Amino acid sequence: MRNLLLAIFFSLLPLSASALDTGRIFVSNEKSHDIYVFDADYNLIKKIETSRRPRDMKFNAARTLLYVACGDDDIIDVIDVETLEIVDGIPTGPSPEVFDFSPDESQIYVSNEEDSMLEIIDVEVRITVHDVPTGAEPEGVIVVPDSDTLYVTSEVADMVHVVDRVNGVVTNNIIVGTRPRRFIITPDTNELWVSAELSSEIYVIDRTTEEITEVLEFLPPGFRPEDVTPVGMALTRDGKIGLISLGRANHVAVIDALTKEILAYVLVGNRAWSVALTRDEKIAVVANGLSDDITLIDMETYRPIRSIPVGRVPHTVVIDD
Amino acid sequence: MKRLISILIALILAGAAGAAELRVGLLRLNDDPRFDDEFAYARIALRPLGDVRTAVRLGISDMQVLTQARGITPVLTEASVDQDGLIEAAKQMISDGVTHLIVDLPAANVDALANALSDSQATILNTTAPDDWLRLKCHANLLHTAASDRMIADALVQHAVSHKWDSVLVLRGKTERDAIRADAFSQAAARFRIRIVADREFDLSTNPSMREQNNIALITGGRRDYDAVFIADEIGEFSRYVPYQTALPRPIIGATGLVALEWHWAFERYGAPQVNSRFETLAIDGRRMGWQDWSAWIATRAVLTAFAKTRSNELTDVNALLRSPKLRLDGSKGAQLSFRPWNGQLRMPILISTHNAVLNVAPFEGFLHQTNTLDALGFDESEFACD
Repeated sequence: MRNLLLAIFFSLLPLSASALDTGRIFVSNEKSHDIYVFDADYNLIKKIETSRRPRDMKFNAARTLLYVACGDDDIIDVIDVETLEIVDGIPTGPSPEVFDFSPDESQIYVSNEEDSMLEIIDVEVRITVHDVPTGAEPEGVIVVPDSDTLYVTSEVADMVHVVDRVNGVVTNNIIVGTRPRRFIITPDTNELWVSAELSSEIYVIDRTTEEITEVLEFLPPGFRPEDVTPVGMALTRDGKIGLISLGRANHVAVIDALTKEILAYVLVGNRAWSVALTRDEKIAVVANGLSDDITLIDMETYRPIRSIPVGRVPHTVVIDD
Repeated sequence: MKRLISILIALILAGAAGAAELRVGLLRLNDDPRFDDEFAYARIALRPLGDVRTAVRLGISDMQVLTQARGITPVLTEASVDQDGLIEAAKQMISDGVTHLIVDLPAANVDALANALSDSQATILNTTAPDDWLRLKCHANLLHTAASDRMIADALVQHAVSHKWDSVLVLRGKTERDAIRADAFSQAAARFRIRIVADREFDLSTNPSMREQNNIALITGGRRDYDAVFIADEIGEFSRYVPYQTALPRPIIGATGLVALEWHWAFERYGAPQVNSRFETLAIDGRRMGWQDWSAWIATRAVLTAFAKTRSNELTDVNALLRSPKLRLDGSKGAQLSFRPWNGQLRMPILISTHNAVLNVAPFEGFLHQTNTLDALGFDESEFACD
């Protein structure tokens, strides 16, 4: 056993050592079919032409590769983070949108909104090993670290499916608000947050009891409840500060993630969706889907400091650091 | 793999055990004059002849995971009857336990039905009658998921105002519905000071003595200029020949050209492509989802959502949620939908469309309302009084 642990330890070492920590910012653009790459000083260094309609993006654990789900070509493009070239592609079912990896990165879980399935793809052999039927239009997917559980939303059925990813079965359904979109899990893994875009709410779910414990609502000044369409979320590593993008209300809400108290509303671009934090957590980067730009938020003052143009309909922001 | 499927089926069955039945009715006419396919000239169907049954089935199937999780089994009871047998068929459904009746009927039939069922517990959902006079009746047991004529007119007027079309020539057919549509447009235009330069009745004949009414160049001619031509033509026989043949080269709106609709197969946003492809898969003839299908689909979803999200099995609680702003229904048009408390009309965005594209979604940016921008379309609470 100890030998095995040692073996795992050493096998992990070179991986973590190979992370580049470039600080590069990647923005996928749904309608211009490309990814804009910025360096740590926000200079545009490359536009990577991808397959059609790039949306969700995830790094591998070593942060050497970036995976991009391309909805109109039914493929996940694989990009080398150092060379910024597409080096591989993993075929999926029709219209992949959001995905996550198993902790050992041997499997990818993709929501397949055309077929109402969660596809489980074996990365090594490139085939779908299992389909889990979901409610119509599955969207957000998140794998719980160190666990067999994953969660997937159904936008039409207004629910969160709890999935045993090893056996490929739905073990519970949690009914939430209208059009549930994305997830985050708190660093202590106790809470699952899900954004309900059309009922303007964030549902906080206790992962142990699988019950809703809190429903958060937002209303930035000058907007109406129905303008608030939350989608993207981010948490600081200590789990103390949460960022919620409010969609057509054109703001990001900053909240105390423990007390759920609203600390600030930050004005950003049109239809703010994806939000990501830099490693030093001094800057948050927000993708504005309908103004084709990203906004940088100063996390000390909670003020927008700069907007930078990107491609058409930016979808997701990820940062390599 | 097989084992997994059997586990899934077992789970589904376990969920269904002891489930409460929810009976939804669908009532249509088998001699509906609006969908008379014999009427079409040279067998060219001018109006959508779709059967909304497919849309109701799609609504039930879309909600299946949710209703299952709540232990509810929706059961669809259907009837397609003659004019004379309508009320009897509805009463039969209600005595069989139907609580929500989705109807695909002309306005006069909906009105008669709402009167006849006023002492029952059933709620009627009107999916295809756009007439504003029906909304003015304020039947307590009636909700509308078809957009009203005035909502459609307001959406077109918002497009006209946005594009600085200041004056419009109105052409209207001779049917009652054509008059209603043309009047709704004129009222909506007046609110935004769009000038109606002339309002003319067209004629379908080729009678030379009526050439001022049946010759397209003459009926669109005259000395006064206009920015667009609005046509009210429920049958569609006249309007399809008007584009490109007007005396002045101007766009055509209303019955053809630029139209305002509840739904369009070419809508690209807010999950609409997925709804359209699910519908096309389910439709036996593979036809595309039309406006009336959306209205029937959203009516079904509204009822099932109210049942699934009420944490009570009491019908009064279900109906309270159904009529509450908390319903927050998702119609894949990017806005949360609910029924207007003053007349039971579903508030909704309207698609401004051509034959193959959705150009914009009303309410347009800049058209505001003091409480809910969706109420910029149709009669607002303050200008509304029940008959």
